[in-house]
Amino acid sequence: MESFHSRQSSKVTAGILAVFWVVVLYLVLNVTRIDPDQQMAQKIFYYHVPSAWVAGLGYLVVMFAGVLYLIMKDEKWDHLGLAAAELGTLFCALVLITGPIWAKPIWGAPWSWEPRLTTVLIMFLIYIGYFMVRNFGDEGERTRRISAVLGIAAFLNVPIIYVSVKFWAADAQLHPQPAMSQQSPDVFWTFMLSLLVFTLLFVHLLRFRVHILKLRSKVLGMRYDV
Amino acid sequence: MLAVLVRKDLLIEFRSREILISMITFGAAITLLYAFSFRPSPESMQTFAPGLMWMVFLFVSVLALHRSHSLEKEFDAFSMILSAPVERSVLFISKYLSGFIFLVVAQMVLLPLFFLFLQLPLPANLAQMVAVFLLVDLGISAAGSLLSGIVMRVRVNEMLLPLMLFPMVTPLLISAVKSTASIMDNQPFNQWKLWFQLIVSFVIVFSLIGYLIYDYVSEE
Repeated sequence: MESFHSRQSSKVTAGILAVFWVVVLYLVLNVTRIDPDQQMAQKIFYYHVPSAWVAGLGYLVVMFAGVLYLIMKDEKWDHLGLAAAELGTLFCALVLITGPIWAKPIWGAPWSWEPRLTTVLIMFLIYIGYFMVRNFGDEGERTRRISAVLGIAAFLNVPIIYVSVKFWAADAQLHPQPAMSQQSPDVFWTFMLSLLVFTLLFVHLLRFRVHILKLRSKVLGMRYDV
Repeated sequence: MLAVLVRKDLLIEFRSREILISMITFGAAITLLYAFSFRPSPESMQTFAPGLMWMVFLFVSVLALHRSHSLEKEFDAFSMILSAPVERSVLFISKYLSGFIFLVVAQMVLLPLFFLFLQLPLPANLAQMVAVFLLVDLGISAAGSLLSGIVMRVRVNEMLLPLMLFPMVTPLLISAVKSTASIMDNQPFNQWKLWFQLIVSFVIVFSLIGYLIYDYVSEE
């Protein structure tokens, strides 16, 4: 099997990512207007929001991969689910780190029980449990099956978590309400580009991880053959 | 078949009494700790009581939920149940119902103790209180039975169940605390309708998930 990085498609994606990552950074720092109230702190928005989007996307993929795995029992869907869960949790962690960095100067406190932030935290905790199930389970089909079930149950719970947290801390609705259509073009297009770059990064990392998981299961299969 | 399975769980408990006794003792112990560590004025206690109360019940429920599946591991009882001509979803409902019954029985003992030890006034509208409690118990038992079936399949499962269960039931816990607080505050139903609806949706979602996919959890 050829290595992941020597594939043509991987090289192209990695190249695009490298170039556009720098472009986004340049646009964010030098081109977009500086918010009169928040000053430089607002710039983190170009990284915070796309991270949250990718985290949500990751968990959505976990659910669909779970459904497909339960239906088809094909190991590749389990690889996809696990890879997406790992990336979703990684980007969740980024959201939880960038959020407080922004909130400290703006809200005056790094943490607030704001619904979106709280929902991300709860999802993060649920997926830590997901990884523990994967680690404490054996390598077999059963662990893959119960992980799929967990991924589905966790994602279906998101709307209920969000609504309950929203009305529980109704006084903590400090989170900026996104109204992208009202933004000036420089902000809008930089944000869209950043979103695109993050999505592409997610896809690239996802493919890389799936590739490694495939190799891993191949090696494990050899071990059992001997 | 469902009746047989639930009866089996209840009969085992009736003979060994290990789940209920541990639930009640544990719950009473936490309530005592609350009473000692807060030693509050009655007003502040009333503010915190709903949250504290549901925390006791959530902790206590873990004992029953974990036992409901770990019991089946002894002498490989679960494989024997699976080899019987029983639909897996029926098996889920039986675990769900027996978990619910244990929780309700434990609450019937613990709730009066809680009000007594923490010197709380009884709520005026008992019927609403009972309805909320029964529904939340259904929710905890639905999510808990599914997760307990899942963690039964892995090592160190006694540690994993609370780790999985607590974040999963946060919406239910928030709604339970808010509804209970409103009832103890004598607020009209309209003011806390939303919380009631959230509890109902949680119960429906997790009962359905469990019913539909327990098949995959229980498969050998």
